[in-house]
Amino acid sequence: MKYFELFELEPRLNVDTAALERKFHALSREHHPDFHTLATPEERARALETTALLNDAYRTLRDSARRAEYLVRSHGLEIDSSQAPASMLMEVFEINEGLEELRAARRSGTGAEAMAEKADAVRERIADKRRTHDASLGQAFDRWDALVGTEASEEERQDHLRTLAEIVAQASYIRNLERELDEEAPR
Amino acid sequence: MPNIVGIDLGTTHSLIATIGHGVPRVIEDAAGRPIVPSVIHFGGDGTVHVGRDARDRMLDDSGHTISSIKRFMGRGLEDVREDLELLPFEASEESENIIRIDVFGREYTPPQLSALILKELKRMAEAALGDDVRNAVITVPAYFNDAQRQATKDAGRIAGLDVLRIVNEPTAASLAYGLQEQKHGTIAVYDFGGGTFDISLLKLSEGVFEVLSTSGDTHLGGDDIDQALMRMVMDETGRDLEPHELQRVRAASRRAKETLSDSETAALEIPEIGFARTLERDAFEAMIAPIVERTLLPCRQALKDAGIEPAGVDEVVMVGGSTRIPLVRRKVEALFGRTPHTELDPDQVVALGAAVQADILAGSRRDTLLLDVTPLSLGIETMGGVVSKIIPRNSTIPASASESFTTYVDGQTNVKIHVLQGERELVRDCRSLAEFDLRRIPPMPAGLPRIEVKFLIDADGILNVSARELRTEKFASIEVKPTYGLTDEQVETMILESFEHAEEDIELRLVIEARNEARQILEASAKSIDGEEYAELSAEEKQRIASGIAKLRSTMEGDDHQAIRDAIEENEQATHRLAELKMNAAVRKALKNKRVREIQ
Repeated sequence: MKYFELFELEPRLNVDTAALERKFHALSREHHPDFHTLATPEERARALETTALLNDAYRTLRDSARRAEYLVRSHGLEIDSSQAPASMLMEVFEINEGLEELRAARRSGTGAEAMAEKADAVRERIADKRRTHDASLGQAFDRWDALVGTEASEEERQDHLRTLAEIVAQASYIRNLERELDEEAPR
Repeated sequence: MPNIVGIDLGTTHSLIATIGHGVPRVIEDAAGRPIVPSVIHFGGDGTVHVGRDARDRMLDDSGHTISSIKRFMGRGLEDVREDLELLPFEASEESENIIRIDVFGREYTPPQLSALILKELKRMAEAALGDDVRNAVITVPAYFNDAQRQATKDAGRIAGLDVLRIVNEPTAASLAYGLQEQKHGTIAVYDFGGGTFDISLLKLSEGVFEVLSTSGDTHLGGDDIDQALMRMVMDETGRDLEPHELQRVRAASRRAKETLSDSETAALEIPEIGFARTLERDAFEAMIAPIVERTLLPCRQALKDAGIEPAGVDEVVMVGGSTRIPLVRRKVEALFGRTPHTELDPDQVVALGAAVQADILAGSRRDTLLLDVTPLSLGIETMGGVVSKIIPRNSTIPASASESFTTYVDGQTNVKIHVLQGERELVRDCRSLAEFDLRRIPPMPAGLPRIEVKFLIDADGILNVSARELRTEKFASIEVKPTYGLTDEQVETMILESFEHAEEDIELRLVIEARNEARQILEASAKSIDGEEYAELSAEEKQRIASGIAKLRSTMEGDDHQAIRDAIEENEQATHRLAELKMNAAVRKALKNKRVREIQ
């Protein structure tokens, strides 16, 4: 959990990103290699290491999906985003079907307008899925944050982490769908 | 604090800038010209001209003039097949992974050639500043990959410069406009130069410039526009042109292009091949529209990567000579919906910004900080020729990632790691960066060693790799084989070579200095012999002086400065008594009318 520690934060999932950015800039001003050009080689190497870690931490913490993924993995849980999570199978079936239709349409030389129409339909379905997903992610974040600093049992924590792992996997599966759509029909 | 200069090492021209009284300024040569053409001319007699002198020789001796060397930096033969035609010299057979150009029987790599340009800039700055210049910030296109950045750094080392930082051109440009005064906003830097196109989006808050995304095309620039015009001329001429004729066509095309930035028509006249026509701006714009359109693709990619709509951009900064073209300005204005900044000379913006970055590194500006990103994802080869990404593109640098590796065979002591750069899934579609050979892994049963490899992209955008076996806490040794580019050893050799040449220079200077002194001695001796004191000398002394003068005369024809020095010394000894006699005579003359008491 060194990323949270670096920013002097409790390991909570709801993060004030504006405050995170201010802290990032303040720490960068302190450690960035640009301000240590004239230091000894050891000090320069340390500035480089610290800044790399700082940048990695900021990249991870400022994005809610990456942040959650980091938290889950830091607790030793794996996230498998290669397959649709069982809980989403029915819902993503339609989207995958839409993508397949789009591919077939492109192969058969469908006009740009008709293609755009089809793509918009699929895009709307994915956006819809993302909205419901974002809501459940928000709830999961709140539940986890409520546990931080309490006397909650290890069992309870692990339970929450498993739920989180699943929601994070869903998020990255949705991202993959979006990417596939973008490749098929660039906006 | 020693001087730190900012250098824009460009495809068609290069500049060097520094900070004077807190303001960045481009350094000019003795004739007051700031721009050094990135052109090198090799004379058959071993002379090398760089810059304007080389460009002046281009028309008459194109066969020995190298331009656009930046296009070859960090690239292999396959990458530059098309551009090879532009090279007047043959690339050697061994050029597969680094171009080697045969110039009168001596091979030069692109970093060595770029080093010649850097040395010229260094000389110019030293003349202007009256001081040594050893530290530099050098700019590269944001889209340069690891090998291209390393090649640029190598060029600096070969030129005798300590390259403190490699900075991306568009990022540097954002510093030149002093936009930090505005506190907050989103900036787009559109950099359309001679050979490359770059777009960067930055977020500014309280003096921190954070690059959000960057995109571009390393093979798209004003040269392509020149070539479009050249093709038109060649089509209309209807015959194959000789290389020297092509140079004329190129020069005339470039002039016509430049004229059309200010005028509605331009005359395209090449008397050497009997070609003459006028070109309307409309026709010109229709011809180059596809090229300009190609710059908008990376712009849209960068906007998407940053998660910004075109209208969300507050400031647009124009960089590079090609942004003088009205069509380019119109297209950019249409995309972002605002008038771009064109107040500064687009050819100087990058160098000026590099000087500001140099000033930051010198510790003079704590208020400004530039946070740049890596333009390409870094990945490693996994089973089945698939690339596993470990540092995504547009990550703020320095950036790092750790990966664990293990062995597949009992007692295996080395593991190979193939590192690549690029966005595609398969190894064959990405750019191979280097192969790392982890060695001296303590022998253990298969799968037991845990080798943690740390990949670190430094502030120059260059990869550093270190490895550690976690069970034994031993550092495994790494041998790096860069896929494109020079090994450290090769660079060292080239630095040594350039030192040898530098030594030749010093030798020459010492000889010239010794000769000058010898000349003065001989003049003085000639005068002494005419004087009355000479008569007082013995025959033997006179003989010694005569032979000393003769020896010095013959020695100074040669180029052994030590021998000349020895002869000077011998002369001085021979004339020692004569000098004493003259001194006494002079003293006697001065004291003639004075009393002893006054002397004491």
